[in-house]
Amino acid sequence: MPPSETQPRFRSRSRWGHFSVQQAPLLLSFAILAGTFGVYVGLFVANQHHFLTPFEGQSIVNTALPLVFAAVGQSIVVLTRGIDLSVGGVMALTNTIVASNMHASTGSMVAWSLIGLVIGAGAGLVNGCLIAFGRLQPILVTLATLSIYTGLAIKVLPEPGGAIPVEYTKYMANVNGPWGLIYVAGLLLVWFVFRRTPFGVAVYAIGNDQAAARASGIKVRPAKVGVYVFAGTLYSAGALFFSATTLGGDATAFDPFILTSIAAVVLGGISFFGGRGSAVGAVAGAFALTLVTPLLFQANVNQLYTDAFQGLFLVLAVVLAGLVGRLVSARA
Amino acid sequence: MTERPVQTILDGTEPRTSRAIEASGVSKHFGGVQALRSASFSADFGEVHALVGENGAGKSTMIKILSAVLAPDEGTVRVKGDEVSLASPLEARRLGVGTVFQELTLLPWMTVAENLLLGNEPLSRTRLIRRRQLPARADEILAGYGVEGIDPLELVASLPLAQRQTIEIVRTLLRDPEILFLDEPTSALGEREVEWLFGLVRDLRERGRCIIFTSHRWGEVVNIADRITVFRNGEFVTTREHMDEAEAVTLMTGRTIERMYPELPRPAQDAEVALDVRDLRGARVDGVSFQVRRGEILGVGGLAGQGQRDLFMTLFAARRPSGGEISVGGKRVRLRNPHDAIDARLGIALVPEDRKSEGLMLPLSVRDNLSLVVLSRVSAGGIVRRLLENRMVWRMVERLQIRTRRVAVQEVGTLSGGNQQKVLIGRWLLAEPDIMLLYDITRGVDVGTKHDIYQLMVDLIREGKALLFYSSDTEEMAHVCHRVLIMREGRIAGELAGDEIDAERLVAAALKEHAAV
Amino acid sequence: MSVATAAAKERIRRVPESLTPNRLRTIVAFVAAIAVFVIGDILHPGFGSAESVKAILLTASFVGFVAAGQTFVVLVGGIDLSVPWVLNAAAILVVTTSLGQDGRAAWAVLLTLAMGLGFGLVNGLAVAFLAVPAVVITLAMNGIAQGLTLGLSQGLTCSSCASYAPPVVRDAVTGEALGIPGGLFLWLGIVLLMTFVLGYTTFGRRVYAIGNNSEASFLAGVNVRLVTVVLYMLSGMFAAFAGITLAAYGGQASLGMGDPYLFQSIAAVVIGGVSILGGRGNYLGSTAGSVTLVALVTLLLAENMPDWGRDVVYGGVILVILLLYGREKTAV
Repeated sequence: MPPSETQPRFRSRSRWGHFSVQQAPLLLSFAILAGTFGVYVGLFVANQHHFLTPFEGQSIVNTALPLVFAAVGQSIVVLTRGIDLSVGGVMALTNTIVASNMHASTGSMVAWSLIGLVIGAGAGLVNGCLIAFGRLQPILVTLATLSIYTGLAIKVLPEPGGAIPVEYTKYMANVNGPWGLIYVAGLLLVWFVFRRTPFGVAVYAIGNDQAAARASGIKVRPAKVGVYVFAGTLYSAGALFFSATTLGGDATAFDPFILTSIAAVVLGGISFFGGRGSAVGAVAGAFALTLVTPLLFQANVNQLYTDAFQGLFLVLAVVLAGLVGRLVSARA
Repeated sequence: MTERPVQTILDGTEPRTSRAIEASGVSKHFGGVQALRSASFSADFGEVHALVGENGAGKSTMIKILSAVLAPDEGTVRVKGDEVSLASPLEARRLGVGTVFQELTLLPWMTVAENLLLGNEPLSRTRLIRRRQLPARADEILAGYGVEGIDPLELVASLPLAQRQTIEIVRTLLRDPEILFLDEPTSALGEREVEWLFGLVRDLRERGRCIIFTSHRWGEVVNIADRITVFRNGEFVTTREHMDEAEAVTLMTGRTIERMYPELPRPAQDAEVALDVRDLRGARVDGVSFQVRRGEILGVGGLAGQGQRDLFMTLFAARRPSGGEISVGGKRVRLRNPHDAIDARLGIALVPEDRKSEGLMLPLSVRDNLSLVVLSRVSAGGIVRRLLENRMVWRMVERLQIRTRRVAVQEVGTLSGGNQQKVLIGRWLLAEPDIMLLYDITRGVDVGTKHDIYQLMVDLIREGKALLFYSSDTEEMAHVCHRVLIMREGRIAGELAGDEIDAERLVAAALKEHAAV
Repeated sequence: MSVATAAAKERIRRVPESLTPNRLRTIVAFVAAIAVFVIGDILHPGFGSAESVKAILLTASFVGFVAAGQTFVVLVGGIDLSVPWVLNAAAILVVTTSLGQDGRAAWAVLLTLAMGLGFGLVNGLAVAFLAVPAVVITLAMNGIAQGLTLGLSQGLTCSSCASYAPPVVRDAVTGEALGIPGGLFLWLGIVLLMTFVLGYTTFGRRVYAIGNNSEASFLAGVNVRLVTVVLYMLSGMFAAFAGITLAAYGGQASLGMGDPYLFQSIAAVVIGGVSILGGRGNYLGSTAGSVTLVALVTLLLAENMPDWGRDVVYGGVILVILLLYGREKTAV
C-alpha cells in the first residue's frame, strides 16, 4: 500500500512526548550515569587538579567492558521475564579454557576467542533447553548450571593461572586508543539490529505476556532457547575482555558478575516483570556501577566497602525507579 | 466511527457454502470442572453463526479448542473437511482460522503499531524491521478499517477497554481469515462500535467467509446471525435458523424464566440504611452516591468495564478512595484495607468475580479455604483450634451442600466449578457480614448452583443483610435486584427500580448516549 | 497441554486420599535421604554407622537452619539471596562481641540475631511495600552485608576478629548429651517449631494462603505485607542463627564461610519438595533435603571426588530433582 498523506493522523502526543513517558526508566538510567560520572570527575579534579586524560578514560571503559557485555546478556534474559544466575559460571568456564590454551599467534588468538564464544553459546543452549523444553524455573535452572559450569571451570584450572598473551590485550583492552568505545559501539549496533529482527520482537512479546505471545503466533520455546544462547555468547565475550585485562585464568573471579550484571539491568531501567526496557540502559547501568570503585577511591573510602556501596547503589536505584514509575503512570 | 468500504482492503473471493469447520464429540475438563461433554458444533462458509448459552456453557472453551489454544481431551476437529490435529494457534491460523478472544491477546507494554503489525512488520532490504515506518503503516491499517482516534504510538496498556477490543478485532481481520471466531466481541463496545463491527462482519459474509460469534445480547444475535447454536452445561443442545427469545432462554437454561428466579421479598420501608456512600471517588470511580437498606438487593449495572469492579474494590477498601464518605450502619467509617472492611461495624464482605485469581487457593484444602477469613475466631493465642474449626466448616459445607468428603484433605481445585463457587461464598458467610458485595458470582457455574445462589440471596435478605450485586448477565440482573444503578465511565448515569427493571431497558439504559471512542 | 490433563487424571486415580502430592514429596525426600545412606554403606562399609550418621546430621543441621528461613520465604514465592553474607556477618559479629567470654555470650547472641532480623526487615519492607523483586533486593542486601562485614572488620584483621566463640555457645552445638550433639537437639527443636508454626497456627495458614494466591489472601483480609515482612525477618534471623552455630562448631569465624549455604539452602528446599512458586511444601521436606544433600557430598568426598566434581554433582542433582517434579504445569 502506498503511504498517502491525505489521511488524517491522530496523535495523542508528540513522538518525543511518547518517548519520554514510555522510556522514562531509560532516561533515568542516563541521568544516574551522568550523575555518577559528574561526581567522579568532580572528585578526580579536586584531587588531581586536572581533567581526566584519554588514558584514564579509556582504562575506565576497558574495566567496564566485561560487565557491559554481561549486562546486555542479562538484559535479554530479564526481558523475557527470566533471570540468569549462571553468568558467573559461563564467564569462568570461558576464561579458564581460553587462558589455558591461547598462544601469542594471531591464529590461536582468533581461534580461541571464537571457541570461547561457542562455549558461552553452548552453556546458554543447555540453560535454554532446560527452561523452555523442561518447563523449569529460570532461577533454579541457572543456579544449578552455575554450580556445574563453575565446577567445570575449576576442573580446567584448579588454581588461578594460565596465561593470556600480552598481544591479546593490545587488541581487546588497549588503553592507548579508543578501542573500548568501539567495542561498546559494536555491541550497541548488535542490540540495534537485534531489536529489528523477528527474534527481538519475540523476546519483547514473550516478556509482555507469554500466553498472548503464543496466541499471536510467536514460537515461544525456540525463542526462549535463542535468548539464553545469545546471552551466553555475550557473557563469554565479556569473559574474553576480562581475560585480556587480567592476563590469566581464575575460576573463582566471576561470582561478582552475578550481582553486578543484575544490578546493571536494574539500574538500566529494565522491568523485572519482563517486556519493558532497553539494553542501552543496562550499558549505562554497567558504566555507572563500574564507576563506583574509582569514585570510592577518589573519595578516600576503604575499598573493602565497595560491595556495600554497589548494593546501596542498587537499592537506591530500585527505589528511585519505583518513584519515577509512579510519577509517569500518574501522568500517562 | 465512519463506515468505510472494506473492499478496499480485502479483495473479494467467491462465496462458498461448504462446511467450514466442524467439531464432533469434543470433551474437555479443567481440574474437577467438566467444561465440554462430548459436544459437537459445525458452521458453513457464507454464514454468520451465533453460539449462545449461559456463562460456563462451554462456548469459550469450544472456540479455544477450534482455534487450537486448548487441546481437547477427546473428539475430532475438521477444518474445511479435513480432520486436523491442531498443535498451535499458528497452525490454526495457517488453515485460515482467526480468533478474537474474550481475554485480549494484545501485548500491553508494546505500542498499538507494534501490536497491529506483530509478525508482519515492514522490512528493509537487509531484512530488518523498519521501526520508523510502523506508526504510518498502523495509521493506514486503522484508517482502512474506518477506525479513528487511536494513536499508534500509544502503549496498549494505556488505552481504554473499547479501543483495545477494536485493535484486537482489526489485528485478527488483517490476516484475512476464512473462518473468523468472535468470542464476546461486543461486551466492551459501545453502540457505534458494535455497528462498525457488524458492518465488517456483513461484508465478510458477502464474500463467503464463515463467522462464528458469541454474545450475551439477544438483540445482536437476532440482528446478524443466520443460524444459532445453543450450548448448555458443556453440551450441544440444538442448531436452528430461527428462534425466539423465550425459546432460546428455555433451551439455554433448561427451564423457564419463571422457575429460574425466586420471588424477591420486598425490603421493609423503615429498614435501616446499611451502607451509605456519598460522592465516592477513586480510580475509575467518579463521584458515586447511593444507599442500600437492610433486606435490599441493589444492582450495579451498565456495560462491562464501566467502573463497577472498581467501585466494589473501593467499597471493600482493596483500593484507596481519593475522596468521599462511606457510612456503615449510620456511622462514618474510614477503611484502610479489606481487613478493616470485614471488621467494620456491620461487616462488609466481597465475593469476587474470578474464583481462580481473586478468590480461592486451589491447591489448598476445602477447610483451609473456608476458614481463612475467620481464622482469628477459631483460634486461641494464634493456634488454630482444629475441632472448633472443623465444626464450623462442616456446618457451612452442609448448609451450602458443598460436595466434598474430606474437608481437611480434598483440594478445592478438584471440586466442580459450582462447588468451588460455594466454597468462596461460604468463606464469606462464615464471617457473618451484614453487607455483601457480590461481583459476578454466578459466572461460569452450572444452572443448579445458580438456582441455589439465588435462593441463598433471598435467604440473606430475609435475615436482614444488604446486598450489592453485579452480573455480566443482564437477564439475571433484571430478576434478582430491587433497584439497579446504571454505571457509565465511573459515574452513576441512571437508576431503574421495581417493575421498570427488565433486560431490554437495562441494555437500553446502558447504551444510552454512550460516548463512542 | 497434555501434561495438565495427565496431572488431572493422576489426581482422579489417586488411590489413598490422604496421600496428597505434598505428603508424597516429603516422603520421597526422606526416602532419598535414607537411600543415600544405604548406598553409601554398601560402597563404604561404616558410612551408615552411628558415628558417621551423627557427623553427617550435625553438618546437615547448619544447612537445615538456613533452609528454615529459606523455606519460609519460598513458601510465599520469594527467595532470599542475602543468606551467605548475613550468615558470615553473624559469625564474625558473635565472636567479636562476645570475645570468647561466657559472660558476654547471651548479649552477643541476641545482638547477632537482631542483626539478622534487621537485614531481613529491610528485605521484607522492600518486597512488601516497594514491590521490589525479591531477587534484586536480597542480592543487593547480600552485597551490603558483604561490604559492611569486610569494611568494619577490616578484612577480618581486627583485633577481636580472631576471638573464639564462647565455650557455652560451643558446648551448645558440639557438646553431647545421651551421645547426641547439642546441635542436633537445636535442630530437632527447630523442626518441631517450624512444623507447629506452619501446620497448627493462624500464621502458618496465612503463609500458605499468600503463597497460593496473594491477591485472594489480601481480599480475604490477610495482612499480606505484615506476614511477608515477618517471613523475611525470620529468614535473616535463621541465617544469623546458622552463622552463630557455625562459628561455635568451627571455633572461629572466617571470610567466605557463608558462600556454600545459599546454594545448599535453596537446593535443600527444592529437594524437599517445596515449590519455588510458593504455597506448597513444608519444613520436614527441607530437613530431608538438607540431609540428602550433605550425605551425598560426604559420600562423594569419601569417593575421593575432587572439588569440581562436587559442584557438578550438586548442580546435576538439582536438575534431576527439578525435572522429576519441578516442572510447570501449563504448557508454553
